[in-house]
Amino acid sequence: MNTNLWLIRREFWENRAIWLLPAVFGAMLIVAALFGHVQLPSLTSPNEIHTFGAAFLVAFGLMFYTVMSVYATWYLLDCLYADRKDRSILFWKSLPISDTDTVISKLIVALIVIPVVSFVAADITALLAAFIVSIRLRASIGSTLWQPDVWLQMQVLWIYTVVTAAIWYLPVAGWLMLVSAWAKRAVILWSFLPPLLLYIIERWFLGSNVVGRVISRRLTGLPAVALNTSGGKSWHVDGDSLTLPSSVFHFINPSGFFASPQVWIGAAVGVALILAAIQLRMRRSEI
Amino acid sequence: MALLIEARDLTKKYGAHVALDRANLKIEAGRIVGLIGPNGAGKTTALRAILGLTSYEGQLTVLGREPLRERTSLMQDACFIADVAVLPAWLRVDQAIDFVAAVHPRFRRDRATGFLAKTEITGHRRMRELSKGMKTQVHLALTMAIDAKLFVLDEPTLGLDILARRTFYDALVNDYMDETRTILITTHQVEEVENLLTDLIFIDKGRIVLDSSLEEVATRFVAVAVAADRLDAGRAAKPFYERQILGKSELYFENADREKLAPFGELRTPSVADLFVAKLSGGAA
Repeated sequence: MNTNLWLIRREFWENRAIWLLPAVFGAMLIVAALFGHVQLPSLTSPNEIHTFGAAFLVAFGLMFYTVMSVYATWYLLDCLYADRKDRSILFWKSLPISDTDTVISKLIVALIVIPVVSFVAADITALLAAFIVSIRLRASIGSTLWQPDVWLQMQVLWIYTVVTAAIWYLPVAGWLMLVSAWAKRAVILWSFLPPLLLYIIERWFLGSNVVGRVISRRLTGLPAVALNTSGGKSWHVDGDSLTLPSSVFHFINPSGFFASPQVWIGAAVGVALILAAIQLRMRRSEI
Repeated sequence: MALLIEARDLTKKYGAHVALDRANLKIEAGRIVGLIGPNGAGKTTALRAILGLTSYEGQLTVLGREPLRERTSLMQDACFIADVAVLPAWLRVDQAIDFVAAVHPRFRRDRATGFLAKTEITGHRRMRELSKGMKTQVHLALTMAIDAKLFVLDEPTLGLDILARRTFYDALVNDYMDETRTILITTHQVEEVENLLTDLIFIDKGRIVLDSSLEEVATRFVAVAVAADRLDAGRAAKPFYERQILGKSELYFENADREKLAPFGELRTPSVADLFVAKLSGGAA
């Protein structure tokens, strides 16, 4: 266990972007809150205030999560490739650490640590931004932007998102790690060329689109599987229509998610890809 | 004597290229073994196999373990420096010490810090800021602080200036070597390690062409400087290699009767470098 914690610590040493990126992004949002144009809608019903507070937090969570997902993708592609490229793998392999532990530590960083860092950064930035905006508009911070019960509900949503996304994106992470452990160069190219080629071949020769559908569903389908997107209340702000459920517990759909076969089929594929990446890591030390 | 490394029919192919061709090796505990061969002879491949870094065919046992499958436990008893430039650029010296201390049960932190205290290297420096010689010292400090039974060095002084090379080998001999340890070393600079070694292994085109202790080499091989008028008689005694030096011919013999060779000219035991050239060119002729 101790070794695994040090392996994760090691990832923070090497990939300072894990905390620098959210710090810089957060700072940019704070600057925007300080000097940008801010406005609060005049809301009266408790329900609307509640929903607005939630939307405010979700917006921050979504921004950080999106930015960090792009970074996590790059991280996964690079994590088993960089040390082969600069040959430092020969140093790491001279230590009594198994390749399984090494690969798993990097997987945990990508699927758990980075998302948790994103949401923590989102919470901190949202709190600071709410504080700044409230002062600028001479409003009470607790009135709309920062409601403790909404905040607590959002934490449930964050944890739920981290867990479900970790399982849902396991095959994607597995594929990226396999490429990272295998490629001699051009990891980015190798990450999308084989699936793209499969897609083109299938379209060309069979006329069907199974590969394309499976991949696009995997990349974009998490909300549909993990969340209840229907059954909420409609709510209007500045002419835009938003449908948001009144409580996070109506929003998340764990029973639906964990009962879905495509979740578990995907997870099995992911595990197989990760096992293959570990085998490659054992055998392929250098480029 | 306990065998530390035993290889039988060790073979490694990269596509059509055979890097190791049924190599047989036996290395005993407490020796300093030089694995010497020209570029592309299979030295590095052999070391990679021994350290569990690559797959192979044939049988290989290192410290009683199967290297590829049991690399993790093997690395508790073996350590290696595979050329000096492999410490990651982003790593700080103190991080490196902290990390190895945390994951290696046989790492003795005081030894590593004691070794580094004798240098100008400070803990907060990153590897990318250090010169090649300094990086070697860090790597050596990290590795020599491990109580390992087997220490493998692959071209450890490649790219180092002469001062750094000397420091490296002095540290190796003075601070590290004792009868409980075994060192396996590959290098191009044969002259540099000659006085260090107790055993020699020559490798050429993936095959072991010589595996012998240095004492054995002294009795087994002899070079004779033969004047031109006695050259035919000398050649009749079947040397395995011949070279021209300062107007004389030097003939190399293996397992020859020294008394019979004495009349041809002056006898000497060839240096490792001479023997290396002789063995490899002679084998090809």
